[in-house]
Amino acid sequence: MTRAVLITGGGGVGKTTIAAALGVAGAEAGRRTLVLTVDPARRLATALGLEQLGNRPEPNPKLDGLYAAMLDSAASWDAIAYRHAPAAVADRLVTNPLFEAVASRFPSGQAYAAAEEMVVHLESGEWDLVVVDTPPASGGIDFFEAPARMRDLVGGRLLRWLTGARLPGRRGLFNLAGRPALRLADALLGGPLLEQVAEFLFDLRTTYDGITAKAAAINRHLAAAATVVVTTADPGPLREALRFHEVGIAPALVIFNRALPGSWAEPVEPLTDGRPAAALNENLARWALEVRRQEDARADFSGRVGTTMVTIPWLADAPIDLDGLQAVFSGAPALTLERLGV
Amino acid sequence: MSGKGGVGKSAVTAALSILAARRGQSVLALSMLDDLGLAAHLGVGRLGSAPKRLRPGIHAATIDRSHALDEYIRLQLHAPRIAPLGPVARGLNALADTVPGIRDIITIGKALFESGKGQWDVVIADAPPLGQLTSYLRAPVTIAGLVPVGRVRDQALSYEQQLRDPAATGLVLVATPEELPVVETMESYGEIAALVDIASVITNRVLDPLGVSEDTLSEIAAGPHRDAGLLHRGLYAAQRRWSADLPEGPEIPFFFGVHTPGEVTVLIADSIGPLL
Repeated sequence: MTRAVLITGGGGVGKTTIAAALGVAGAEAGRRTLVLTVDPARRLATALGLEQLGNRPEPNPKLDGLYAAMLDSAASWDAIAYRHAPAAVADRLVTNPLFEAVASRFPSGQAYAAAEEMVVHLESGEWDLVVVDTPPASGGIDFFEAPARMRDLVGGRLLRWLTGARLPGRRGLFNLAGRPALRLADALLGGPLLEQVAEFLFDLRTTYDGITAKAAAINRHLAAAATVVVTTADPGPLREALRFHEVGIAPALVIFNRALPGSWAEPVEPLTDGRPAAALNENLARWALEVRRQEDARADFSGRVGTTMVTIPWLADAPIDLDGLQAVFSGAPALTLERLGV
Repeated sequence: MSGKGGVGKSAVTAALSILAARRGQSVLALSMLDDLGLAAHLGVGRLGSAPKRLRPGIHAATIDRSHALDEYIRLQLHAPRIAPLGPVARGLNALADTVPGIRDIITIGKALFESGKGQWDVVIADAPPLGQLTSYLRAPVTIAGLVPVGRVRDQALSYEQQLRDPAATGLVLVATPEELPVVETMESYGEIAALVDIASVITNRVLDPLGVSEDTLSEIAAGPHRDAGLLHRGLYAAQRRWSADLPEGPEIPFFFGVHTPGEVTVLIADSIGPLL
C-alpha cells in the first residue's frame, strides 16, 4: 500500500524543502520513497539528485530508496490528451495553439495535471511513500479543487453556449444568425475566433468521460492522503493556511516553519561586558519581539483551527544537501513519520 | 506592483499609495487579483469594485471579474446600449476560462482604463505575482494575435501602447533578499523589461548588520544572546549574498515584532519615503 503525503501551503514558506526532508527521512527509514516536486530552487534540486527537469523518477545518487521527479505541467497536459482522447483527436489537440495556451495558463489545469501524475505514481505499486510538493497557486487549495474545475472546463459550459443546448456534429458548429448574443460576440471578437474556439472545445469534450473518471480517482486518493499545511507566522501565509480550514480540508499536521526558540523571550540576565554586550542585549531584545509575535500568531491560529502543530526552527541558510535535509527533520522532534501514518 | 508571492507586495502597494497621497496626489489603489492583502494593509476589511474613498487622497477598489467584464463590454468596447449584455457577458465569462488572454485583458484593461481616464493622478495596482505577471502583460498582444478584426482587437492594441509608454506606465518589483525571490525576479527581468518599463526594484525585509564579529560571538557564553547573534549574522550574510544579484533600489528594513498589517504599511511608508 502506497502512502501519500501532500505538502501544501502558500509560496515561499519552505514547502519544497520540507517535502524533500520528509522524503529523505522516509528513505532512511527503509521506505521506497518518491518526492514529486514543482520548480525547486536549483541547489535543492541538486540535493535531490534532479539534474534535469523530467516527469520520470530519478534515483538519488547518494541515498538508496530515494527518488525524485519534477511535475512538468506542459508535458503532463500532452499526456492527459493522449490518455483521454482518441489518438487522432489528441494529435489535433496538442498542436492547437489554444490547447498550448490553456495548458500553460489555466492554473487549475496545472494543478490537475500534477494530480493525475501523482495518481499514476500512487497506483504503480512501486512506492511505499509518495511525498507531493503541491503547486502553490491559491495557497495550494487549487490542487484539491482542480479535478472539479477541470471537469467543468472540458464539460463544455462554453461549448453549450456557442452551440446551443444540443451538441452538434463537427460541421456547422454554431449558427450565428439564430442567436443575437452570438451576433454581438461576433462583432466584438470576430467570427473566426469563435469558430476556432468551438472546434477546440469540441475536441476537448472527447476527454470528458476519461477526465470525469480520473477526477473521481484523484479525489479518492486526496481524501486518503495525509495533508500537511506549511506556513510561517507571517500574515500572508497564515491567511492562506486558514483557507484550508475554511473549505473543510482537515490537515493531519500544520507545520510552522522558521520558528524562533521560545527561550529567547524569557527573562535573562543581560550581558555586561562593554560594547558588544550592549549590541547583543539589544539584538536579543528585538528578536524576543519576533518570538512573541510568532507565539501570538500560533496561539491565534490554533484557537481557530485546533490541529496538531509542529514547529521547525529558522535556519540562516536553506539546506542544500542530504545532511542539511536530515537536520531539518531531526531538528523538529515532534515531526515523525508515524504522525503522518508512514 | 509585482513580485514573487509572499514578499510583501501588497504592503508596499499600500505604503506607496499613502506616500503619493501625502504628496498631495489623488490615488487609486487597485487590487488586481485577491483583495485580502491590500485591504488589510490599507486598514479595511474588503474592497469593493467601485472605488471607495478611504482617507484624504486615497480611493481603493478591487477587480471583480463579472463587474469588470460588464464594464469592459460597455465602456471600453462601447457596445451598443440596447444590446442584451447578459448572455454576451455570460458567454465571455465562460470564454475567459478557455481563451488565453481574455481574463487577463479584462483585468489589466481595468487598471489601464482607470489610469487613462484622467480621474486620478496615479493608479497603483497590486498586480498578479511574478509567475503570472507576463501573461497579463502580454494579454494585449495575445488578444491582438488571436482576434483578427473588431473592437476587442482595437482596444487591445491601444492598451499595448499604454503599457509600453514609460510616461504612462511603470512597473515596480518587490523582492526579499532570499534565494527564490531573487532568482525568480532576475530570471523574468529581461522578459518583463521588454513588455513594460521597470521603474524600480524595491528590496523588502532587509536586516542591518549586527556589528559584532563572529570571533567575538564565539567567546560569549552559550545562551540566547549568542544564539540570537549567530542567527542574525547568518541571516544578514545570506541576505547580502542574494541582494547583490538585484539591481540597485530602495531597501525597506526588517521590522521586528510588528503586529497589524496597518502598522506595517505606515512603517514602510516612513522608511522609503525619503528614498523615492
